[in-house]
Amino acid sequence: MMIQESCNRQRIETFLEGRLAEDEQERFEAHLDACSICRNELESTAAGQDFWAETSTFLQQDRLDDESVELRLNEACDFTFPATEDLGVFRGLNHTDRPELLRVEAYFDATDDPRMLGRFGGYEIVGVVGCGGMGVVLKGYEPALDRYVAIKVLAPHLSTSGAARKRFAREARAAAAVLHENVVAIHRVAEANGLPYLVMPYLAGESLQKRLDERGALELVEVLRIARQVAAGLAAAHAQGLVHRDIKPANVLLDNGVERVVLTDFGLARAADDASLTRSGVIAGTPQYMSPEQARGEAVDHRSDLFSLGSMMYVMCTGRLPFRAETAYGVLRRISETHPHPLRDLAPEAPLWLCDIVARLHEKNPQDRFDSAADVAELLGRCLAHVQRPADVPPPVNFSPRHNVLRLWQAASFRRRAAVLVVTGAACLLLAAVVLQAEARSTKGDLMPTQSTAGAERATSAAGSVRREPLMSEQMLFQEYEQVRGRASQLEGDWKAAATETTDSWEESAADLRRRLERLQERVEREAP
Amino acid sequence: MPSFPDTRYSLVARVRDADDHQAWREFTAIYGPAIYRLARKRGLQGADADDLTQRVFLAVSRAVGEWRPDPARGRFRSWLATIIRNAAINALTRRPPDLAAGGTAVMALLSEQLAPDEPLQAALRFESRRSRFRLAAERIRQEFSDATWEAFFLTAVGGLSPEEAAATLGKTVGAVYAARGRVMHRLRQEIERDDESSVEEGA
Ligand SMILES: [Zn+2]
Repeated sequence: MMIQESCNRQRIETFLEGRLAEDEQERFEAHLDACSICRNELESTAAGQDFWAETSTFLQQDRLDDESVELRLNEACDFTFPATEDLGVFRGLNHTDRPELLRVEAYFDATDDPRMLGRFGGYEIVGVVGCGGMGVVLKGYEPALDRYVAIKVLAPHLSTSGAARKRFAREARAAAAVLHENVVAIHRVAEANGLPYLVMPYLAGESLQKRLDERGALELVEVLRIARQVAAGLAAAHAQGLVHRDIKPANVLLDNGVERVVLTDFGLARAADDASLTRSGVIAGTPQYMSPEQARGEAVDHRSDLFSLGSMMYVMCTGRLPFRAETAYGVLRRISETHPHPLRDLAPEAPLWLCDIVARLHEKNPQDRFDSAADVAELLGRCLAHVQRPADVPPPVNFSPRHNVLRLWQAASFRRRAAVLVVTGAACLLLAAVVLQAEARSTKGDLMPTQSTAGAERATSAAGSVRREPLMSEQMLFQEYEQVRGRASQLEGDWKAAATETTDSWEESAADLRRRLERLQERVEREAP
Repeated sequence: MPSFPDTRYSLVARVRDADDHQAWREFTAIYGPAIYRLARKRGLQGADADDLTQRVFLAVSRAVGEWRPDPARGRFRSWLATIIRNAAINALTRRPPDLAAGGTAVMALLSEQLAPDEPLQAALRFESRRSRFRLAAERIRQEFSDATWEAFFLTAVGGLSPEEAAATLGKTVGAVYAARGRVMHRLRQEIERDDESSVEEGA
């Protein structure tokens, strides 16, 4: 056999050592395409079975990697401590791994307070809160006002780039222009020693992420209260033309329980990551809350934040991420290609209207989501009022549904969907049978044979595709089914009695049923994901 | 505080020694995430796990000043690996309040006399090996094109079959096998090199 002849153990080793010429390598790859013997040999020469298994385990992202923000920040900054004599040396040791931090520190002014790392922009620097894609977040103390602040400093290597400076300044100014109780305030945007920075309050409240970690899914009222405030904060930001880009529970701070929610980290952190996202195998930060357009690396607008809000609401309702996979790649693929597991399956007590809202936020196509965060905030406000005073406030149903049918379908439990499936199938079969009977009957009445054959084919194929893709809401299906059944039994009765039979009425009835079938089919096609 | 400047001087001097410096960087990169993960797995919240990790390294950094070249103690790097592991094990077996970084607590953290906790030691070995794999993967990443790396990552880690990966990446199945074989071979070399250099640690 040809394949056997060109098997060559030596070639495998040469290849692994990277010493095959380019054309030889192409031939080798072509050979591997067909030869399982060489594949096996290649795999076991590259590494033993245990090593393959270890690699799979160790490089896998897991639950703890989801905490990436805080963890990575600390890893990246290599354990920074309050300054003491010996720790000065300790810091010096570690910062060599993180050039940004080392370089930021080089921009500090001297301080006479031995507990501080230095002074920057008039603030005493207490420590480092984190390192992000664009710079370093410092914890500062403002003696004049006796308060702690968080200071975000653009990394020095970015400060030399005009584009990065402009972007930082633009985003910082936009963020500073957002004055809203649900958005973290920006005290100041300035520059010190050549580094642009912005100053925010140092907030000590716990994040929504922490709350979810500790207690899992939240009560309906809490979900609505938090989501409404996030939407309101987003609306204020969007009004300034600012897209957050990184809406996730870790960026939502709960001040005083869930009474007040503060949105942090506007647009600054994710901006730098976006570009590097698709280039490397490892993704910085957590992609679980990204929108499909972000996952694909496309341009985003305010509606991307709405998708992320949908994911956050899903997590708050169910305690589980809507798009989960073993790897970040898997997550991104799921976000752009699949629909989350029906919310109702995981949170059976969730009201249908809530499932609708989440599903609408989760529309793959931004145009199919709500138009604005303001609309969402307003709607959620009505939801909250309804939940708190069900007797006075009607349930929120009058938001204009776009793909209502699909959302209802997704929101339905498995059992209900199965029931719908059966009913749909039955209805369609019945419908097809009746149409065929009607066609047969009208053929007798000297209709053009070609027409009726085409009609029968259409009816059959329509019934077939409806069975394949039953994406109707149960209500609509029952309605449709009842009507079709009524019409069918009427036709059947007419046919049996043959009393009122005229070619015209048969033709009319058959055409009517065909139209219904075609509409059903159209809708199914339109709404299939 | 008569001995303090002396300690500090010797620390600074040793820090300038490239090997010691290198060992320190390597071990914080390996054990930092390992200790954090272990602490989280043992039920600590993220912030507490962070604190614990930082305290371990704080204690170790202080102890570094006490190191004196001594044939009985071996090289600096093996000594350092040992005290990091001891400090981590001791910190993880204690409750957080015991960890206040006072003098006695620091000594307790570093004490080599505590009863051995075999499962915990095994868990630490496991987590530090995870770190080594991740760091090795980061080191070799830029040696390969994106397409090659993705073919490796999607199949060896992401669980896609070579056929699925080939379809996803628009490559031939043979090219996917070739790519992941190359990366795997290189990763194994890197880990083995790492094992050799850390053989004294008894990891
Ligand atoms: Zn072969």
